[in-house]
Amino acid sequence: MRTIRVLLAGTAAIIASPAFAQEPVELDLWTIDDPGEYHYVMAEEYMAENPHVTINLRTVQFPDMVNDLARAISTGSAPDITYIDNPEIALFASRGLLLDLTPHIEASDIVNADDIFPGPLASVTYEGGIYGIPRGANTIALYYNADMFTDAGLDPDAPPRTWDELYEAATVLTNPARNIYGLAFSAVGSEEGTFQFLPWVQMAGGDYDNLTTDGAERALALWKTFIDERLASPDTLIRGQWDSTGTFNSGNAAMSISGPWEIPRMSAEADFDWRVALLPVPHEGAERASALGEGDNVILANSDQPEAAFAFLEFLYDNMDRVWNEFGYLPASAVDVTDPIFPEAYAVFEESMQYARNRGPSPDWPQISQAIQTAIQSALTGQASPAEALADAQETISDVVN
Amino acid sequence: MTVPLSTTDSMPTVGTIRASGPSFRDGRGLDRVLVWLTLGFLVAFSALPLVYNVVMSFQSVDLFTIASFDRPFVGLDNYKAVLSQRATGTIVRNTAVFVGLSVALQLTIGFGLALYFQQRFPGSTWLRGLFLAGWIMPGLVVGGVWSWILAGDFGVMNWALQATGITSDKIFWLSDPSIALYSVIIANVWVGVPFNMILLSVGLAAIPDDVYEAAEMDGAGRIWRFLTITLPLMRAQLGAVISLGIIFTLQQFDLFAALTQGGPSNGSNVMQYWSWELSFQHYRIGQGAAVSVLMILVVICVAAIYVRSTRHEHAA
Repeated sequence: MRTIRVLLAGTAAIIASPAFAQEPVELDLWTIDDPGEYHYVMAEEYMAENPHVTINLRTVQFPDMVNDLARAISTGSAPDITYIDNPEIALFASRGLLLDLTPHIEASDIVNADDIFPGPLASVTYEGGIYGIPRGANTIALYYNADMFTDAGLDPDAPPRTWDELYEAATVLTNPARNIYGLAFSAVGSEEGTFQFLPWVQMAGGDYDNLTTDGAERALALWKTFIDERLASPDTLIRGQWDSTGTFNSGNAAMSISGPWEIPRMSAEADFDWRVALLPVPHEGAERASALGEGDNVILANSDQPEAAFAFLEFLYDNMDRVWNEFGYLPASAVDVTDPIFPEAYAVFEESMQYARNRGPSPDWPQISQAIQTAIQSALTGQASPAEALADAQETISDVVN
Repeated sequence: MTVPLSTTDSMPTVGTIRASGPSFRDGRGLDRVLVWLTLGFLVAFSALPLVYNVVMSFQSVDLFTIASFDRPFVGLDNYKAVLSQRATGTIVRNTAVFVGLSVALQLTIGFGLALYFQQRFPGSTWLRGLFLAGWIMPGLVVGGVWSWILAGDFGVMNWALQATGITSDKIFWLSDPSIALYSVIIANVWVGVPFNMILLSVGLAAIPDDVYEAAEMDGAGRIWRFLTITLPLMRAQLGAVISLGIIFTLQQFDLFAALTQGGPSNGSNVMQYWSWELSFQHYRIGQGAAVSVLMILVVICVAAIYVRSTRHEHAA
């Protein structure tokens, strides 16, 4: 085993170093990026540094990735490297379709698993193996319109810190005559709804497999209050985070819960003083939690170029300090970001990243997520009480997990 | 005087044609080729996928076994799972309401417009053609337009209703679970009316004017003429339009994807969208196949009724 590792390390080092002229290597890479975005930029730079490596990129639409990948694997036409969204790692890893990177990482001088933040590391870990390297991360926080805070007599330097304060602020800021809702968030019946709701459950002591807690019930009841009292638009039920935050940018919502991907558009469109704060917690001093988004670079188990593929993953990891400024994600590992753009927002999201928790892991995540979405939607539409809705979801999830 | 060709003279000629056997250009040879081509096409592109779908509905299929035929058979488990879900009742009821209301409204409005344009006023054919624009547009585009019209906070519809004082509160067309289905129906009726109108216009044009003139001379009023002439003579067209309407409506997927995604809380979910959700969002492909088999059964019944009703028409 040791000799194998040494050999692997040696091969990786040789392939990674541009000084040697080697046999040409071709790597197939699937990504959700379009040309000009992360994978395309990185692959181009890597190919320039390593002329013997050719990386063939293919863009797959984000919603199609799991389907296309599964089909490609079953027909033997899967790529060497691909992007996978966090919660899907377990689905593929549990079937032995991803390469366990643990030996490669142990032998690597560049990737050190201890430097990866706990949330992102958990998202690529399945039953003891590490099946991917996060390409970056994102999380959610509370955006707020400081001008509206001032107009409504609230202190723009003291954004809401607890759920009660959030509710009060939303009540004060809501102004139907001017078409302003206090808060925008997303309770849509898709993965985005789960993504937004799970942190509320987690910071109140529950998790996806422990939904019938008082805290979770309180969270769902509070969400329902936001809708029932029209502090948030009823369209929250059918709107994703991007569209919800669009209403914040246009001045029709005073606060919005979303992630750093909003910043480029917000800085261009929002003609007011927008700021970011950590997600409010259930009560003063409560544990913090936040969502963990973005995806991972993984190597398929049946790749015929695992060493060359890992060398490219090392290169990607080595450039983690660039992801915020150039590509709009947060670093998933402890790196120094010099001169971050939007420094205040970066500071908040970077802190929030420490509390970001993984969704799952479970190979049946789609079913679990669906049960949570059903709970959210049936409670918010009044078809079930928050307690009943969560109990139903728990029943489904317990069946799936066990 | 030349003797006319007797029957005996012409016999050998007929004989030679028969003896030459099936020719490729004419006769049975070509018939056979045409039949086999059509049959081959139907088998390859309709029957096989259909059978494959039925087989999948009895198997445990997930994403990773989609390309192999060797999958465990689970009997009726998929059907049981699909039928025992809490959402099933709502979704089946939604589907019935969606199809029933859509077809009824499309037919009524389409028939009304067809009769209207039958009046042949200046520009009537031109205007009738313009109506088709809605039908030509892709479903996702129509869905996109209607989602702007029906948007809760900033939609044109709410603005118009409030400006004219019809409602004082905003109606959340797409996010209120008791209304969302009807919003999709409104959009679907808008899409389907032109097609109904054109088919029915063709039928109306085929009714000879003198029948109406004769009835008018006999003193039959407008309504009486409609009930005793138009309706009975339009029977075949109405049957076709209703059957096609049901089938098209059961296929309507784009509007759900664009407007509500079946939500909120399955409030506007219908079987065709549910089947897709099960297969490609929850990866329970066997169950998705089971739902589509159930839908195929409905479509077969509709088609059977249609064929029976038109056969009766031809016989009469």
